[in-house]
Amino acid sequence: MIIIGENINATIPRIKDLIVNHDVSSLKDLAVRQEKSGADIIDINVATGVGTAEDEISDMKWLIELVRDKVDVKLCVDSADTAVLKAGIEAGGEKIGLINSVKATEKNIAEVLPLAAEFGLPVIALAMDEGGIATDSKTRLKACEKVIKGAETHSVPVENIFFDPLVMPVSTDIKQGVTTLETLKGIKEEFPQAKTVLAVSNVSFGLQKRTLINQALIHMAQYLSVDALLVNPLNAEFMLAIKAGETVTGRDRHCRKYSRAVRKMN
Amino acid sequence: MDSTTLIDDIKTNVIQGRVTSDDEGFDEGFEGKPATVELVEKALEEGVDIKALIVDGLTGGMNIVGERFETGVYLIPDMLAAAEAVGQAMDILSPHLESAGVESKGKFLIVTVKGDLHDIGKNIVSIMLKGAGFKIVDMGTDVATDKIIEAVETHKPDFLGMSALLTTTMREMPNVIDGLKSRGLRDNVKVLIGGAPTSPEFTEKIGADVHCADAFQAVDYTNANA
Repeated sequence: MIIIGENINATIPRIKDLIVNHDVSSLKDLAVRQEKSGADIIDINVATGVGTAEDEISDMKWLIELVRDKVDVKLCVDSADTAVLKAGIEAGGEKIGLINSVKATEKNIAEVLPLAAEFGLPVIALAMDEGGIATDSKTRLKACEKVIKGAETHSVPVENIFFDPLVMPVSTDIKQGVTTLETLKGIKEEFPQAKTVLAVSNVSFGLQKRTLINQALIHMAQYLSVDALLVNPLNAEFMLAIKAGETVTGRDRHCRKYSRAVRKMN
Repeated sequence: MDSTTLIDDIKTNVIQGRVTSDDEGFDEGFEGKPATVELVEKALEEGVDIKALIVDGLTGGMNIVGERFETGVYLIPDMLAAAEAVGQAMDILSPHLESAGVESKGKFLIVTVKGDLHDIGKNIVSIMLKGAGFKIVDMGTDVATDKIIEAVETHKPDFLGMSALLTTTMREMPNVIDGLKSRGLRDNVKVLIGGAPTSPEFTEKIGADVHCADAFQAVDYTNANA
């Protein structure tokens, strides 16, 4: 399981403040702690909404350069703006391991996929197109098909596509958990070479004890062989629950990873 | 690499429970390094003394695994991993045992009794005894009582191990022992029993020789009476 650390994200108010105030030590610390807690890739999102598009580009460069040499794991550039993605990739060089993300719109495919091809990077592809986020899995799978076609056009290997089936809150639509899982299952069936990723936290929006809800979704997704998770790795019990899912789904020979993680916690 | 280092390395890998080089160990940082199978093959190529390899490497490693299991440091999968490593090592070594002057310590017939399909515990005991140098005849699960008695007659084992995980099926064990008695076979074979519902009291009541609470107790008893 690939763990993408989600914590450095400017849409979280506390993180937005750190970025706006250029709080170097807190941001570095947040990257290092995520790595120590088991993140394989660290997501970097600087969309504070403060300042201009140019400011966002310079923030991305600044933050990537800041974190780049502090961790051994790769970084994931996270932006809806292609120019910001490109600036981050150029600033990070070899240290960049993932692009987050491309939507299945004609425009976005034409902008982001060439970037993935040029730098040979994997890219997260959201299962949504011009019609926005569909509430049903069938429509989401159609969006995925567009990305697969785009990948062909722009010479991005299918193995480098990480489909995000999209996770919506069950608090506002109780069917959304199943929609996510059905989409994930469909992706695995229709595009077996592609990889999959879940940005899990959204499922529990508006509820209490959110970690439990997140874990429930993750465990079901693990049964469907999800490849990566965008999560908060700083919660050790939660990370252990993910390992438990790997163990139960047969991906942890002799239960080594699970047992070792338990020993570390004791 | 001299033979002592090689044997030490094999012991380490048994303790770590690594069968082949892709296996993780109990501890971190072993992935990709040669493990039990590769090292035993190398030892054969280099003409390492097989007896020493088994005694110091495999059995020596397994003894430490046993201690760690008893003290709760190792859990069942850790023990299974080590037993698997030893089992595979013995498979590689078996064609060479005779010429190396390694004698079998005895023959062990092992079964899960009639009506019972549980085999995890039985298989662990089986692998561990194989690693300890016994010849194993494993009849599988749900083995009819008269089949067991027949097998004792034909295979002439030194030990008979019976497993039952259900209170309903453990009642089959005295039938086996009575059958052995009436055929005059009881004194030829030591009878070990195990499985969750069995107990020392039950063992005594049915006239078996020893109750084994876990695989290591079975190995200890068998070694002591070989």
